[in-house]
Amino acid sequence: MKVVLQNLTKIFPSRDKKDKSGEVIAVNDFNLEIPDGKLIGLLGPSGCGKSTTLFMISGLEEPTGGKIFFGDDDVTKLAPENRGIGLVFQNYALYPHMTVQQNILFPLQNLKGENRLSKEEMLKRANEVARLVQIDEYMNRKPSELSGGQQQRVAIARALVKMPRVLLLDEPLSNLDARLRLQTREEIRRIQRNTGITTIFVTHDQEEAMSISDFIVVMKLGVIMQTGKPQWVYDDPANLFVAKFLGTPPINVFTGHVENEKLYIGEEEVLDVKGAADQEVYVGIRPEGFILKQTGKLTCGISGIDVMGRDISIVGTNGSAMTPAIRAIISADELKNAQGTVAKFDLKPHKVFLFNKESEERVWFGSQIEAHAEMVEQMKAEGQYYTTHTGPLPREQDDKPKEDKPVEEKKGFIAKVKAFFSRKKDAQDAQPSEAAEPSEESQETKSEE
Amino acid sequence: MEMEKTDPALNVTAEGAEVLAAEATGEAEASGKKPALTPEQKKIRWKAFYNKYKAWLYLLPAIIILLVFTVWPIFNTIRLSFLIDYNYQKQIGGKVFEVGFSNYANVIQYTPFLKSLGTTMLLTVITVPISTLLALLIAVALNSIKFFQRIFQTIFFLPYVTNAIAIGMVFMAMFTQIGTPPYVQSYGIINTIIKAFGGKPINWVNQNSNYWANIAVVCIYIIWNALPFKILVLLGGLQSVNKQYYDAAKVDGASRWRTFWHITVPLLSPMIAYVVITGFIGGFKEYSSIVGIFGDKMGPYSADWQLMTIVGYIYRNIEGSNTNQGRASAAALILFAIIFVVTMINLYVSKKKVHY
Amino acid sequence: MENIVETEKTGSASVPQTGTGEHMQTAPHADEQEISKKTMGERNIREISKKQMVVKILVQIALYAFLTLIAVSVLFPFYWMLISSLKTWREYNEAVPTFWPRQFEWSNYTAAFTGELNLGRLFLNTLIVGVVSTLLSLIITILSAFAFARLEFKGKNIMFGAMLATMMIPGELFTITNYVTVTAFNWTHTFTALIVPFLVSVFYIYLLRQNFMQIPNELYLAAKVDGTSDWKYLWRVMVPMSAPTLISITILKMMGAWNSYIWPRLVANDAAHKLVTVGLRGATFLVDGMDNMINYPAQMAAVVIVTIPLLLIFIFFRKYIMRGVSRSGIKG
Repeated sequence: MKVVLQNLTKIFPSRDKKDKSGEVIAVNDFNLEIPDGKLIGLLGPSGCGKSTTLFMISGLEEPTGGKIFFGDDDVTKLAPENRGIGLVFQNYALYPHMTVQQNILFPLQNLKGENRLSKEEMLKRANEVARLVQIDEYMNRKPSELSGGQQQRVAIARALVKMPRVLLLDEPLSNLDARLRLQTREEIRRIQRNTGITTIFVTHDQEEAMSISDFIVVMKLGVIMQTGKPQWVYDDPANLFVAKFLGTPPINVFTGHVENEKLYIGEEEVLDVKGAADQEVYVGIRPEGFILKQTGKLTCGISGIDVMGRDISIVGTNGSAMTPAIRAIISADELKNAQGTVAKFDLKPHKVFLFNKESEERVWFGSQIEAHAEMVEQMKAEGQYYTTHTGPLPREQDDKPKEDKPVEEKKGFIAKVKAFFSRKKDAQDAQPSEAAEPSEESQETKSEE
Repeated sequence: MEMEKTDPALNVTAEGAEVLAAEATGEAEASGKKPALTPEQKKIRWKAFYNKYKAWLYLLPAIIILLVFTVWPIFNTIRLSFLIDYNYQKQIGGKVFEVGFSNYANVIQYTPFLKSLGTTMLLTVITVPISTLLALLIAVALNSIKFFQRIFQTIFFLPYVTNAIAIGMVFMAMFTQIGTPPYVQSYGIINTIIKAFGGKPINWVNQNSNYWANIAVVCIYIIWNALPFKILVLLGGLQSVNKQYYDAAKVDGASRWRTFWHITVPLLSPMIAYVVITGFIGGFKEYSSIVGIFGDKMGPYSADWQLMTIVGYIYRNIEGSNTNQGRASAAALILFAIIFVVTMINLYVSKKKVHY
Repeated sequence: MENIVETEKTGSASVPQTGTGEHMQTAPHADEQEISKKTMGERNIREISKKQMVVKILVQIALYAFLTLIAVSVLFPFYWMLISSLKTWREYNEAVPTFWPRQFEWSNYTAAFTGELNLGRLFLNTLIVGVVSTLLSLIITILSAFAFARLEFKGKNIMFGAMLATMMIPGELFTITNYVTVTAFNWTHTFTALIVPFLVSVFYIYLLRQNFMQIPNELYLAAKVDGTSDWKYLWRVMVPMSAPTLISITILKMMGAWNSYIWPRLVANDAAHKLVTVGLRGATFLVDGMDNMINYPAQMAAVVIVTIPLLLIFIFFRKYIMRGVSRSGIKG
């Protein structure tokens, strides 16, 4: 089932009815077409509106504006139970008082009229799905008697049992430990491929999204930053945010400028950038984009060398770097070129991304220009369209890291008493009073996700 | 065991009080009149003593009062229940009472007691299920509306902060008819409403009124009175249920009815069990609502004690020289046993049914 | 990162078997294909939307109707009490009750203070008992809660457990002996008899102890370092920090004095010591010169006067009352 989101917008109203500045734009004019049968990952840092988007697709959250189509049906106003979706919650939300089997049967038992199945059919269907997710041995256990991974699979089974048109997964792996996460994400991939159900899942973990998605949607502050196949987005980020968000270890960012089609970092001329206009830029260099050479053009101080399996990474410093440490992954043969406390690097042009300092948008140069055009063509050929965000983001000021307020550390217990009181008062203020409307509360939590 | 534990505290009582007062003013100055000890020495001695028994000093007032008015009554009431036909006034008069089980035997064969037991059980069995179910429905309804939630909540809580006796008198006024049949002047507001709907006026609470009519009035009042606490607890429980279960149920296509029975009730079962257990305990101790409506003779005019409960029976036998405090003690212990057994049954059932 | 493309390619051809490894995949491929095809069919979206809206509105109407009905039933006795208290006796006795007094009879209220009821005296008595017992009770509760929350001593847990166990026993069990005790002490018809037996409430000690325990331990240690004595720490730090709980206790205790009936009627039923509720229930409200005719408007006026302070306290201290109530089944 194709899913189309048209100008989808969600604004959480301000708590204070008079003061409109408190309102939160969780999702802003969101346009997306999700092809049938694909697994797509909604990716972004917390608070980017990805879960809100998912909940709007599920029908649990009502959009402030815009439309949602499943195939040709406009489902914007439809209640969740009428949409034919399956939803797996972050905490699974398995009914704690029901066994695994009862949990899986529950959606079937809710069917009415002509859709109602006979008891045998229900059981048969439940067993089928349980087998699919490999929990058929635990049918009589309660959720509390299962491990996190097993619970997760029960949740998927419950979502699948009524054969949804669209499967939605909200941070499905965030409650699992690292090893299980790897296993389970392959599991999800397998189930999705075998059933062919259009699946949308939300995550803040870029690695997770990149490893299993057919394509990813990178979001920030309720706005799509870029869509595409994971590898493409990684190889060809459209702006600084996407470049910084994807990849571990993260991309190294320097300040620099372009002059006469040459890129300068600090005083050093490091790369030919044919086709780029003169401007101030941020230079993003992937860790694997460095070549250690005695004649290298970029000079960095070495503060450490990490050997991690086959990779060796040099942790270095540079006056123009935006972070205190930069990281370059190099091969073992290159290591001999490191001398003393200084490393000199040449750069691989396709691993170097320039971003305009004002707009933070990509500045393509050299062979990148053709590569980018080719990629866009290919996406169109595959029926996808290339989306990036242009123009200023909403509420940009909130994006800046909050300054750490210096916490007054007073000695003596009277001061501590005062601190305790003020803390307690804050907690009380923050807590909604007994009669606070639950809907308000839930909005709060959701907009914070 | 209790007595042993408190012994050290008793030993320090005399000095304790004085010193506690001194400490309260911030200074433990001693008068120093005794030649053997200088004030300094006294202070040191006191400090050592204080540090050793500090906790017991803090607990002292509570312990004394608990010993006299809680611990002693437990033992004494048991003792009295075995003193045949005990009465304090008679004891003062020099009467000696025999020891035996006949208080218990007499109580459980005594018709008024059995009747009061029946009334008590009847009230409990009627009011607890009705008020619990009603409170549950109200709490769920309150939890699923958006506007006026707070106003409704406040209104529903009002009966809780009232005086059971005073509002009982209001219920009496509402149900009573003025004048004696067949010369009834006014049938009262409730009967007027019944008549407006085409019913026949009923003699609810007046002279010659039927026992069942009385029970109905008392039940209505008890339910009216019991709702706020139950709503408060259940609503609190509802609001602490993870909202995701309801979202999940929505996605799973559960109807409201199925959501109520398959999600809400099981998830709320600990709260429901709590409300039912406290309801049973309260029900077996029913007294003030009936006194509020019918006065301290617990019955309509010329039918005193028609609605006596177990507690009513006990209180009736406390005061005066003609009462039987021995039997009252036996009845109190029987009441305790009943409450204990009912609570245990409740706990046993809820262990099987309640999902924690 | 590198293997993404690989996964991409192999995906549909061969299913990666990285599952849990507990057993191999058992579901045959055909089955799964079946599931995907049986997805919920096309439906008339518009019709469903419409039905959904109608149901939603009907349910909301039903909910509000139900709640309004209950609210009316809850409020009706209050309403009836108020309007009855303002009617003349004659109007009250009419065959068809009026829902609004034709003529306001304020003398019903003044009668409550002057007649047999003598509410002024009852208020004074209740106030004396309420204030004194609340103050003493607070002190005792604070001291005990502190000992249980902060101090270490032998037998603390047994002691605390034993105290909690007494909460299970119905109060009626104590009343018989306490009546005998109070008589023996010659306390009948004194305020002492009304105050002393109920000074210790195990539940309040429990409540306050829980509150004290929530105060971070570092504060206590900091106080120790600063050389603050336990006594000072208790009154200067713990008590102010537990103010909300103490307010809850105060309100519930005062309400208890206001509403108490059984014990006061038993031990202090004389004019000089009678409490409000006892006086209210004991008064006959007979119409002058007529036997057996109760002056309900006068009675209702008295009931209103007794009820209003409670409602006022509820309005102003709603939060504190609810806090105490939701943790216990006790009333007053």
